[in-house]
Order: sequence, then C-alpha cells, then structure tokens
Amino acid sequence: MIQWWPLYGLKRKLTERKEYVSSVKLRFSTAGIFNRSLFVYVIDTGSSNALNFEISALETPQYNIHRYGIYLTDSPRHADVLLVLGHPVKIMTAPLKETISQLPKPFYIVTIDDNPNQPDAGEYPVLPNHIAALTGVPSPSQILGILLDIAKIKRKQP
Amino acid sequence: MKILIGIITAKEDEQLFILDNGLPSLISTDGYDPEKMYGNYSMLKQHSLLINDKLMSGPGVFKFRYGPVTSGVREAGSFHLYTYGEKILRATIDMRWKHREMRKAMQNKPPEAALLMAERICSNFAISHSVALSKAVEMALGINPSLRTKNWRTLLIEAERIYNNLHLIYKLTSSAAQKVLAAHIGALFEKALRLNEKLAESRFLMNINNIGKLNHIPEISDIQKVANGYRELAERFTKLYKHSLANYNYLDRLHSAGIITPDQAGKLGLTGPSLRACGIKDNLNNTTEHLISLPVITKNQGDALARMEVRAEEIVNSCQYLVNHIRASDSWANIEEKDAEPTKTSGTGYAVVNSPSGALGYYLDVTEGKVQNVEIFTPSYPGMYAVSGVLEGQIFTDFPFVFDSFGVHFADAAC
Repeated sequence: MIQWWPLYGLKRKLTERKEYVSSVKLRFSTAGIFNRSLFVYVIDTGSSNALNFEISALETPQYNIHRYGIYLTDSPRHADVLLVLGHPVKIMTAPLKETISQLPKPFYIVTIDDNPNQPDAGEYPVLPNHIAALTGVPSPSQILGILLDIAKIKRKQP
Repeated sequence: MKILIGIITAKEDEQLFILDNGLPSLISTDGYDPEKMYGNYSMLKQHSLLINDKLMSGPGVFKFRYGPVTSGVREAGSFHLYTYGEKILRATIDMRWKHREMRKAMQNKPPEAALLMAERICSNFAISHSVALSKAVEMALGINPSLRTKNWRTLLIEAERIYNNLHLIYKLTSSAAQKVLAAHIGALFEKALRLNEKLAESRFLMNINNIGKLNHIPEISDIQKVANGYRELAERFTKLYKHSLANYNYLDRLHSAGIITPDQAGKLGLTGPSLRACGIKDNLNNTTEHLISLPVITKNQGDALARMEVRAEEIVNSCQYLVNHIRASDSWANIEEKDAEPTKTSGTGYAVVNSPSGALGYYLDVTEGKVQNVEIFTPSYPGMYAVSGVLEGQIFTDFPFVFDSFGVHFADAAC
C-alpha cells in the first residue's frame, strides 16, 4: 500500500536562516537589474566534480534557494547568470562560448576555478560580463552569498 | 574470483593488474592469451575516450548529441544517441570533454605533489584516489604507515561512500520526480558533507591523507559528535528508505531499467555496487584487513533498482561501521607511531582501494623521489562501457536511471 511522504520538516526544521555573506566583491554594480529573482544556468567546463556536488548541495532544503527567488534553469536561454565550473579544458572553450551566446541580455558570468594549476590548461579565457571569480571549492553558502549579492536580495526571510 | 582491472604497458613485458579475491596482484602475460581469458582485455588495452563509436543506419534512424552542455548530465561529457524516436538503438559516449591529462601531469613529480593531483582527478572520490596513490608509493618505498593511519583511512573511505551513495539516490529520486523524498535525501546528503567537514576539515575529505601518515588526526572532542551525527543519519535514512520501498511510482521507474547480467558484468570487468547488484561478490572489503570487514551486500536482479538497493544498504552499514569505530578511535591514540620513513629510494608499487563505485587501482614507479609510469584504473571506465551497452534498447525516459544508477563520472573515467 502506498504511504504518503512526511511533508513536515523540510522548510520548518531543515531550512536555515543565515546571512550567507560572500567575501568576493562584485566587479560591476547590478542595482536595479534583477528584481528579487535570479535564474542560474550551470556549465561544467572541466571541474574535478566537487563543484558539481556543491551545486547539488545548494539545491538541498538547508539552503532552500527558492525562498530567495533563485532557480537553476535547464536552458541558458532562461538564465540571468551563467555559473562556470572548473578551469576550462581546451576542448570545452567552444561549447562555453556557444552557451554564452545563448544568454539573453542582461546577463552576468560567475566563474569558479577549482584547479587553477590544472595541467593542459592555459590562461583562463576572457569572458564578457565576468562579474565574479572564485577559486578553490567554495561552500554552497559562499555560492549562495554571491548570487544574493548579484540579485540584491535581502538575506533575512520570515 | 579474478577480475582484470588494468594493463601495465610501461615496461617491456606487459603485465596484468588483477584483483584476486579482492586483493591486487600483477601477473605476466607469458604463456597464454589474455584476450581469451579476460573479456575486458581489449577494452582496457585500447583505453579509448570514445566508447562504442560505430555509425548506425536504418529506416528513420538518426543521431543526436546529448551534452557536453546539458542540465540533464551536468558533467562535461556527451552521448551520441542513435534512435528512430523511441528506443535508444546505440549510445556512443564521448569522454574527451573531461580529459585533463592528469595522469600524464603526475609523471616526474614528487609523490606529495602527485597526491594533490590525485585528489583533484575526481574530487568526489578524493580520499579513494589519495589512499590508492599513497599505498602504491608506500609499497614502492617500503613505508609502513601506523595502524592508526590505516584505520582512519578505512573510515574516511566509508565516509566517502556514504555521501556518494546518498548523492546517487538523491539524483535517482529527483529523476523519478519524487520531490519530497529527493528533498529529504538531499538534506541527508548535505548533512553527510558537513560531517565530512567535522571529520577531516574538508567537505570532500581532501588534504587529510598523506604519504605514510595523515596530515591531521580528527580531534577526540569532536569525534563523539560526528559518531552521533552518523547514527542519526543512518536512522533518518533507514526510515526514508523503508518508506520509499512502499512507493510503487518510484520503484517502477527503477525496476527493469538497465539490466546487466552476471555474464556481461564479468566480461566488462565491473566491480563495486554494479557487480554486486548482479549477485556477484567482488570481495573488495578484503582491502580493509586491519579492521573488521564490512559485510558484502548483493542483489540478484542487476537493474537500476538492485544497484540502488545495494547502495542504500551500504549507507546504513557504513554509518554503523563509522559509529562503532569512531567511538573506539580514542584507543588508537596509544598506538605507537612508527617513523613513516622510506626504507628504499626507488621501487614499484601498486594498490587497490574499495571506492564507492568499485575497485580503484594505482600502479607507479618511484625513482629518485619522483613518480613515473603512473597508471590509474578507475571504476568509472568499465562503468561507462556498461552504461553504453545497457542503454541499447532502453526508452529515453529510462536514460537518467540507467546512467545515474551506475555511479560513474566523466572526471573519473577520462583522467
């Protein structure tokens, strides 16, 4: 017999109230551009996979990013922000450029380089509207902090 | 039971890297034809980054590319799917998008530098790669790490298994549109990553292992908190898992998806949960000979459901294992630390680790303080062949269940 799922507890008990402060300063001002909502598209260009796992963690109830109006989209054509994971390997440069060309304006790009010393990787490519560059494997709190900064969303939620 | 997991071609005589009853050994190919003996010999010998790359034609058959930029498979990798609209007739897997030449980059580096690279090959298997490489270097240089180091390494690998298996089930439940279950499992996945941070000061268990020793031993005061955390995680997961087994909407999506037979698994040289889901024991738990071995969980159906069940039961077992041993770990403080110094300046070493997705092997030479001839044999490589093989004949809606249930990663397979 089918049992109903325990719906309780996801938001009330698991969602955390934190400030999600980011230590990375934005390179451009985004005041007045995004009105309490942000759609993010994620592209892996050669990460060590830890970042993919951190993005999965960002979607968990502890962070509950939807309460801030932040959503991960399935298409770059719906995105406000492109989140680039990893130091691009040469072969991924063309798909990355193609993805950027699909972004509607205005858009911004956030990069997370988890392995700056990666072999077979040259200089990090110059990207348009590159608003923030992170290195290492930032926690979901730090990634969320950046997204909240870009969208100018208030941290404290009821 | 002998499983071929790699071929060593660095020296004049070809050698086979064999997993014999869960333990690694090297054997020569003199006197017999390895291709007849091991079904995966030519696959490993070829070591292609393009799997099952054969053109296909027929009435209405066309090919489309899925990846390397798609939200369905977030990693950079692509599938070339041949179809006439409903069934997948052939699946070519292209792993070149994630090929970072990591193995080549390790050559002529000091072991400590190679260790840092190994952790970055596939960071969700960071401790498995790290322990496998360090064990190979220790064998090459005659280093004998302390029992405490060995014990902690075993526990860290189990911690890695827990969060990887939770992530896999999180993906399966999300793909099956079980939003509430996925949210609960996702919360446990994040909890497991936070427990890792308490245990090793890294959510992905990086920078804790070193050659012959650990960089730091977890603080005793935190250990009880971590043990309680794993106990609570196991309890919450068990409740959810039992609940999920009564949900036919969920089970129907996994049942009969991507069936692999014991014969196919043997020919591909699969290890880990993918093999155990076919009812075959790989005895990889023998690699933890210094602690009590974990029970080996097997299922017989060989489908995505069986692979999920194996991993789910492993989560509970590994949590219990961690709880028991972490609580006993304060007694390890009295174990005498031997000088983990090399007794040789050069040599050859090899090792296998029971990673979350199966046997992960390293072979290397150390000469004048530099590693050379590094060979890495990851479970994701034969796993990708298995995915490509079982996708044939599946309908498109089964794609995520087939791919995710094998627990394979492009970063791991294409190193």
